[in-house]
Amino acid sequence: MNILGIINAAMPQLLYGAKLTVLYSIATIFFATIVGLVFALFKLSITASLRRIGEGYVHLFRGLPLLVEIFYVYFALPMVLPLHKWFDPYFTPVAGILALTLNEGAYITEIIRAGVLSVPKGQTEAALSISMSKYQTMRYIILPQAFKRMIPPLMNQFIQTIKDTSLLSVISINELTRQGQIIISTTFESLQIWTAVAIIYLAVILSLTTLSSHFERKYEITKR
Amino acid sequence: MKLQNGSNDMIVIKNLSKAFGDNVVLKDISLSIKEGDVVVIVGASGSGKTTLIRCINGLEEVTSGEIYVNGVEVAHSKSDLIEMRKEIGMVFQHFNLFAHFTVLDNIMIGPTKVLKIKKDEAHKKAVALLDQVGLIDKSGAYPDELSGGQQQRVAIARALAMGPRVMLFDEPTSALDPEMVGEVLSVMKQLAREKITMIVVTHEMGFAKEVGDMVIFMDDGLIVEQGKPKEMFSNPQEERTKAFFNKIL
Repeated sequence: MNILGIINAAMPQLLYGAKLTVLYSIATIFFATIVGLVFALFKLSITASLRRIGEGYVHLFRGLPLLVEIFYVYFALPMVLPLHKWFDPYFTPVAGILALTLNEGAYITEIIRAGVLSVPKGQTEAALSISMSKYQTMRYIILPQAFKRMIPPLMNQFIQTIKDTSLLSVISINELTRQGQIIISTTFESLQIWTAVAIIYLAVILSLTTLSSHFERKYEITKR
Repeated sequence: MKLQNGSNDMIVIKNLSKAFGDNVVLKDISLSIKEGDVVVIVGASGSGKTTLIRCINGLEEVTSGEIYVNGVEVAHSKSDLIEMRKEIGMVFQHFNLFAHFTVLDNIMIGPTKVLKIKKDEAHKKAVALLDQVGLIDKSGAYPDELSGGQQQRVAIARALAMGPRVMLFDEPTSALDPEMVGEVLSVMKQLAREKITMIVVTHEMGFAKEVGDMVIFMDDGLIVEQGKPKEMFSNPQEERTKAFFNKIL
């Protein structure tokens, strides 16, 4: 079989894997952004105990290899918490998304916190001076301005997240990387299949990059 | 529910002290301001005048002492502070307009989100205020498209939109190019004549002479001298006041 023929034959399986990669990425980005926002607000809180919780979270999940976190959630955690029973038969995807979310969320926490801190203090004072509550100040004044500055580092992190889903192959989630491994285990066509896998990853990430520069341009035009 | 102080004055400050760590910036300040009065606070930088007015609307927490606005203590509890700030507008040295909002939205955000006034009503009021500060044609502009003087006039309109009974001005013309000082001062003079209570930290002695009811000279965290502008400027009693006026006038 020639190169194209091999890739052609493997394509449906690879595209199925790519679909899972995209779905896991979207789910992780969604949950990790929420988690990141919550812990960023904790870290910015005037309450010392909340700040410490936020700091502890970031230290723990940014400080461990993602692979160890995946193993921990999948193999170790069920020993003390019967997650595999609660989420049966969806424990594997839940564990995968949970591990990824906790890890990416730690980075997003820092991105959002830095974005909020980059908004000048005078904006907060002006909002307070017209009687806004702390919540209203965040919601209407600080976060909209911080968001614009967070777009480039957030996009970076989202790209990182897509690549990190490849590690889910170790807990038998059939995403793109694992599909590649499975095909090669029967065809032994390493060069062709890994090339195809690489091209699909690039295509997915390139489309996100395009989206990202579209957003950056959009906000660059209004400059605010 | 709230502490009353039994005085009819708009603002009463009793034995106010404020320290940042070991650095004491206000030392046992006591002061009364009547409704409708225009009070001008002068003094060298670092004398505590900005900190004093920031304490009045709770942007700085007081270390000790009491502040009453309209008979109600500026409390430490969040909800009281929010209620209190509806009565007190503030204008900052660096304008602090919301950079992501147009001029009109800067003025409308408080009335619509805080006072829960209907949008069309808030819009009408915002337009009237823009007219008052002479910027009706800039309603759709963003702050960074305006000159400093224009930004400060929008900031005044933003504060007025909340319907305050007291306006605090923290060096409102200090960050402006000289040719823009006049346009801001003329808006402030107009306000002063409308009998809104104003406390103005400024170096503009002309403003103090023209519309001020009282001048307060501060030095090193203390009120050194206070009195009617004419008397203070022509015949200061304290050595420190004389030295300061000699430098600035």
